Amino acid sequence: MRRYVVRRLLLLVPVLLGVSVIIFMVLHLAPGDPAEIMLGSQATQADLERLRAELGLTEPLYVQYVHWLGLVARGDLGRSIWMKRPVLAEVLGRFKATLVLTGAALVLSTVGGLALGIVSAIRPNSPLDRLSAMASLFGASMPVFWLGIVLMVIFALWLGWLPASGMFAPYGGGTVMDLLAHLALPAFTLAAASITIIARLTRSTMLETLGQDYIRTARAKGVVERAVVLRHGLKNALIPIVTVVGVQAGYLLGGAVLTETVFAWPGVGTLMVQGILARDFPLVQGCVLVVALSFVVINLIVDLLYAWLDPRIRYE
Amino acid sequence: MRAGALVQALVVAIIGLLGPAISASAQPAGTLVVGLVAEPVNLDPAQVTDLNSNRVGRRVVETLVTFPEESTQVVPGLAESWTISKDGLRYTFKLRRGITFHDGTPFNAEAVKFSIERQFDPEHPFNKLGKYPFANYFFGNVKAVEVVDPSTVEFVLKEPRASFLTILTAAAASIVSPAAVKKLGADYALQPVGTGPFRYASWDRGQRVVLEKNPSYWRYPVKVDRVVYRPIVEGQARLTELLTGSLDLVVDVPPDFVAQVEQSPKATLLKQVGAHVWYLGINNQKKPFDDKRVRQALNYAVNKEAIVRDVLKGTGSLSRGPVLPATWGADSGLKPYPYDPERARKLLAEAGYPSGFSTALWVPESGSGMQSPVPMSTVIQSNLKAVGITVSLQTMEWGAYLAKLRTKEQELFALSWMAGNEDPDMVMYPLLHSSQWTPAGPNRALYKNERFDELLHQARLTTEQGKRAALYREAQRILVDDPPWIFIDHEIQTAAHVKRVQGFKLHPSFDLRVETISLK
Repeated sequence: MRRYVVRRLLLLVPVLLGVSVIIFMVLHLAPGDPAEIMLGSQATQADLERLRAELGLTEPLYVQYVHWLGLVARGDLGRSIWMKRPVLAEVLGRFKATLVLTGAALVLSTVGGLALGIVSAIRPNSPLDRLSAMASLFGASMPVFWLGIVLMVIFALWLGWLPASGMFAPYGGGTVMDLLAHLALPAFTLAAASITIIARLTRSTMLETLGQDYIRTARAKGVVERAVVLRHGLKNALIPIVTVVGVQAGYLLGGAVLTETVFAWPGVGTLMVQGILARDFPLVQGCVLVVALSFVVINLIVDLLYAWLDPRIRYE
Repeated sequence: MRAGALVQALVVAIIGLLGPAISASAQPAGTLVVGLVAEPVNLDPAQVTDLNSNRVGRRVVETLVTFPEESTQVVPGLAESWTISKDGLRYTFKLRRGITFHDGTPFNAEAVKFSIERQFDPEHPFNKLGKYPFANYFFGNVKAVEVVDPSTVEFVLKEPRASFLTILTAAAASIVSPAAVKKLGADYALQPVGTGPFRYASWDRGQRVVLEKNPSYWRYPVKVDRVVYRPIVEGQARLTELLTGSLDLVVDVPPDFVAQVEQSPKATLLKQVGAHVWYLGINNQKKPFDDKRVRQALNYAVNKEAIVRDVLKGTGSLSRGPVLPATWGADSGLKPYPYDPERARKLLAEAGYPSGFSTALWVPESGSGMQSPVPMSTVIQSNLKAVGITVSLQTMEWGAYLAKLRTKEQELFALSWMAGNEDPDMVMYPLLHSSQWTPAGPNRALYKNERFDELLHQARLTTEQGKRAALYREAQRILVDDPPWIFIDHEIQTAAHVKRVQGFKLHPSFDLRVETISLK
């Protein structure tokens, strides 16, 4: 077990290296560079060349990459071209907000998805099951920005129950209640698609599990129905569900970019969009690296959860 | 069933709990909360390249000369008066006395010299602190800044440039506290110190920038205690925050929301034409556009009124050339090209294209000052189709688009220019003088007209405004007859504020002067 974890952690290095090469290439091969965007439509050729030289963009690509890698090796992600501040502090500061949002969305989608799925599986083809199927179709096909805006109009503009954007009230905020209020709409928006995916999967695996012989046995020996469903049924249905929840965690982390933009959430997503539009290479690389790292860690956690759920699983 | 009911109950409970918590959080009496389209990136006036940074940063620092409340005519700022030498090479400024920076150090001629020279002199000890992208654009023509005495400073130019006073109104010409730059180093860009109506207080990344009033502002007592700027990219979110009272003022109301704000009893909509021009560039060197009849035909073919009315919902004013109407350099006799597809077809036939031709139109998806580029270009595409010109629309991301325009391969392209001031030199010279052809300069239409070039050059050497205006009027008439672009519109900026905000006006320079506000 320990050797497995160590090996998986060591694997992080080539994965992150690969990610960094790809993102570096994609960013640098895209037309337009930071100098172009900083100077905008008023650019003159002379000013562009001077600025490019000052930004170190005239070096060959591999030299720029190696230089950046050298910095990273020393735990320094460089300085943002636009904001002039160290990337690492900037990204980590923003990443906290993203974690809050994705964490809330993950809890919401797991709890909501499991509940909906179980209810549907217990009474297949009931009106509630049909409703849940329809809601799932709706939830899975709605783009995040559309749903976000609709919810914002309903709950913030018409009803006035929830704030429309931001993480805290602009002045005098900062309490947990304040955070929860600001979190409600973006977290639900982000979670909507995942809730439905988890719900549908839970329904089908639960249906399958509930048809097993040991469930009939449990019922025959007089186990309370709730225990049949939750202990005998759900626990055995969990392995594929946990896999999907893990995948969804990654999806939520990536999907946060759009949700954050719609709701002005001060996370790493809005920072990354800003960085990409400005071709702020060090900043985008830093953001992607942090997101990729958390993605890999989530996968590892999911893999470790298997053994806890099903003791027959061994790590070699 | 039970779990479903539980979830329902939970949702209702959470919303019920949160409801009252929200309505209680209104801002304190003296605090103004402003919604910006994007977060400022940098507050060192010499390094700023984006509008939102400027809208915040210019509250903190000031320039020697400035604009009055409603126009972009140059008036005294930190300098109380100035003289220009006969040869147009020496600008001598008398500075106001007794003004101090927010850190308590005095504003004087040394500070002026420091603020400007750090940008263009590579030997200056603070030149390496930042990149100064526009140093050459604005100060490339400055030979030296000389301190005559503590309250007199002289700019020596390499060659005469009549628009130099206007240049000194630019953000890059702001006077910073030398003591603060020396103390803070590169971090000056994050916590600027100047003489302005507000001083920097704090910055929570991604959430808010806070400024506090400068209690000893030299010009007048500032009535707002504190300004909180929040970046909110999504138009609907900005508007919702305004209508629910969480924001006091928002800028750039998207055209589709204009009607909604106008009808709301809670908000007031403001409009103001900006010193800006949106044009459809034409590559004047490529066939068939090298024939001026073709370019005239394009101007007749496009229904600008429809674009302004239907796409921009009234947030544009028809353009008849690059110069903003009703400013000193504008020719008031000019009329916009009328929408006349019949005339366009005739001109095309005369030029040898009776059945039209095919061409490509490059459009950025968004960009500074670009209004609604794709919908606007789509209307233009269908207008041109109606006179026989088949246009393929190619949309690009802003950064990629700017790079592509440098290739000179463009045929038609959508672009805008935010001069932020009304000096015709600052818009016509870079965009249309033949010395400014891309990639060396911003003349991406590759326009060349010798008489026009000569007029613009003469106007640069003439310091008297009346004489300059006469030269520019003739230049504008040339542009109508020999059009470099399809003229479209000048942006009408929009802002909306709640009723408690009093005394706010939008400024033609696109600046956001919240210092004039008082809160009811």
